[in-house]
Amino acid sequence: MGNCFSDLEGGKQAVGGGSHQRPQNVRSDAGHNDAVDHFFRTKGLHALFTKMELSLSASKLRDLDVLSKSDPMVVSYQKKRDGSLEELGRTEVIMNNLDPVWIQKINVTYQFEIVQPLIFRIYDVDTKYHNLPLKMLKLNDQEFLGEASCYLSEIVTRQNQSLTLNLHHRDGRSSKNLGTLTVHAEETVASRDAVEMAFRCSHLENKDLFSKSDPFLRISRTVESGGSIPICKTEVVNNNLSPVWKPVCLTMQQYGSKENPLVIECFDFNSDGNHVFIGKLHKSVAELITLHQNKTGANFISPPSGFRRHEKLLKGQLFVDGLIEKQLYSFLDYISSGFELNFMVAVDFTASNGNPRSPDSLHYINPSGQLNAYQQAIMEVGEVIQFYDSDKRFPAWGFGGRSYEGSVSHCFNLNGSPIGFEVEGVEGIMSAYASALQNVTLAGPTLFGQVINKAADIAGHSISDSHAKYYVLLIITDGVLTDLQETIDSLVRASDLPLSILIVGVGGADFTQMEILDADTGRRLESSTGRIATRDIVQFVPMREVHGGQISVVQALLEELPGQFLTYVRSRDIVPLNVGQSHSEAHTQQRV
Amino acid sequence: MEKSSSRMIEITVISGEDLRVNRRQLVKKNAFVIVQTGSSRTTKMDKDGGSYPIWNEKLVMELPMHARFINVEVQCKALSGGNKLIGTARIPVSDFSGGHLPENYLNFLSYRLRDRNGERNGIINLSVKVIGPENKSRVASCPRPRTEVPVDNKVSGGIVVGIPVPYSY
Repeated sequence: MGNCFSDLEGGKQAVGGGSHQRPQNVRSDAGHNDAVDHFFRTKGLHALFTKMELSLSASKLRDLDVLSKSDPMVVSYQKKRDGSLEELGRTEVIMNNLDPVWIQKINVTYQFEIVQPLIFRIYDVDTKYHNLPLKMLKLNDQEFLGEASCYLSEIVTRQNQSLTLNLHHRDGRSSKNLGTLTVHAEETVASRDAVEMAFRCSHLENKDLFSKSDPFLRISRTVESGGSIPICKTEVVNNNLSPVWKPVCLTMQQYGSKENPLVIECFDFNSDGNHVFIGKLHKSVAELITLHQNKTGANFISPPSGFRRHEKLLKGQLFVDGLIEKQLYSFLDYISSGFELNFMVAVDFTASNGNPRSPDSLHYINPSGQLNAYQQAIMEVGEVIQFYDSDKRFPAWGFGGRSYEGSVSHCFNLNGSPIGFEVEGVEGIMSAYASALQNVTLAGPTLFGQVINKAADIAGHSISDSHAKYYVLLIITDGVLTDLQETIDSLVRASDLPLSILIVGVGGADFTQMEILDADTGRRLESSTGRIATRDIVQFVPMREVHGGQISVVQALLEELPGQFLTYVRSRDIVPLNVGQSHSEAHTQQRV
Repeated sequence: MEKSSSRMIEITVISGEDLRVNRRQLVKKNAFVIVQTGSSRTTKMDKDGGSYPIWNEKLVMELPMHARFINVEVQCKALSGGNKLIGTARIPVSDFSGGHLPENYLNFLSYRLRDRNGERNGIINLSVKVIGPENKSRVASCPRPRTEVPVDNKVSGGIVVGIPVPYSY
């Protein structure tokens, strides 16, 4: 018998090829089955780990050799949190050249959630050391030509992902005579190409005695040693000799190249694990594209057996009903093409923080300059996010405070202006915050709904203008919510907009309600009208949990942000700005 | 009907989550969705999806201008032969139209389903896009307007027929 009526759902799922896991017995509390997640996974879009390559060149270097020109080399460092320098790599030495273009690339791992300071030092390598391997060079023996520093996110946000820096002395003194260094950053992905294919078979051989076969496909990539590595398996279709499977999506990293032969095998599913072989064929992706265009099928073959010396051509055929070639763009593709992350801040001014003049208040401004918890959160998130906003003008609000007129406002401009709510840079937020503490009386209660609606309005209006902005709202609060349901309603409405919300909890209050809003650990948010959040846009981190640890608040909050951004843009087929119009139209053509 | 009294919307019924026949019994197979705007459209059955069906089916429907809600019903084919109601969701038109969103914005929406007794029963995921105030015949004839006409390869690859002109030296 093919199979029994028992719990076999797990074994019948599709694997690889972007298939989705559909938990049969998991209740909706799981929270990982939102609409867009299904949309993605069925299209094979998984985030890739981001490694980058730095290409270096310089111009107008100092000439330190008497009889010849300098022989320059670059050493790259990343500055750690404790201030120490970690060497990332070294270039080769280019002889007799004051305008070198180095070939050796520097490998660096891009992390969105932290600021990554890079330092480059250029040395003139003496002639007598030219035959030594690079690693054995002692830098103290070489002539120092100049130093430059920048942040990795400064490079990746440029349109051409290049940054030219003036070289300066080791002690930081700038001098035009030292020349310039140009850094170009590129993402090291083998390829962004992917192919989504929908397979169908007809006239499969029946392997079950009292019922029809339960077929599934397995696709493997051939390797140079002659074997094959499975890369994808479809779901099982019950009792069907002409099955139609759900589409699978293969990336070029999976299938190698379009000309690489793939082995496509068809099996009859058996619950004991001994799946019966139905047939197989060898086709490359290019050949599958041809099958799709010609709307023809390919016959399965049965390999030679003990009774037959030759292959047997079977009656069963494989068809490619759907085939879409597409590009999988990464977060950095969008950022380097001109997409921006716009930072917004909302600060809690409720009375539970304590009188700002008292040293034990959460809003206490220490005369020695030590930052309070609110200032820390603003600085740590702002100094990362600011690189992704070109104009660096940030909306800043407060909530729960009483103004001079005496009314409590749950969304007032931090700069005190009745009209504009934007301030200049992260320092602008800090100074607006400090001056607001002088002019606003702490009141209550704690309401999030209005600031979320305000941020959602801004994000919604930006859609009409362009699709190149994504908004990040940071809410810093010390207490429990009074308007939990109104907040949830606002979050559900905002979940379909280009907006993410980061919540930092300061002080020692009970943050159970915040965990509810953060859908990582809770169920999908549901509004009072029954609408469910489209995707998870909220991240919550209490400040106290990270004080002792090495990971800062900013890392915990921001590491999911690129994923949330990609979830939004990919679901709407939004492509990076520098992707040509003809490519978009060609993409549209294939979908018709 | 006049053009201005209705507009076309494009609804993609994506998937369902945690659908149950009753409190203890999960939906096993053959779930489908009926969308009602004024007219009614039905998706295919998901024969294998069980309580987490996936349809990914696009429906182009006419939405009367005065309509304030869209009704979405999830049903499944019962063994006894009839159709069993799993749950209903009521979608306010204001969730995907009006406000400050552009008219052709692609909205991804999810809603709690309620069964016949008003009890919570699973989630329906879909996307909605307002196509525009066009009449039905135009949309039906060309559901996805092309931005350009593809070039015929035969013409561009053909040999140009010319008349030989004799030289006069």
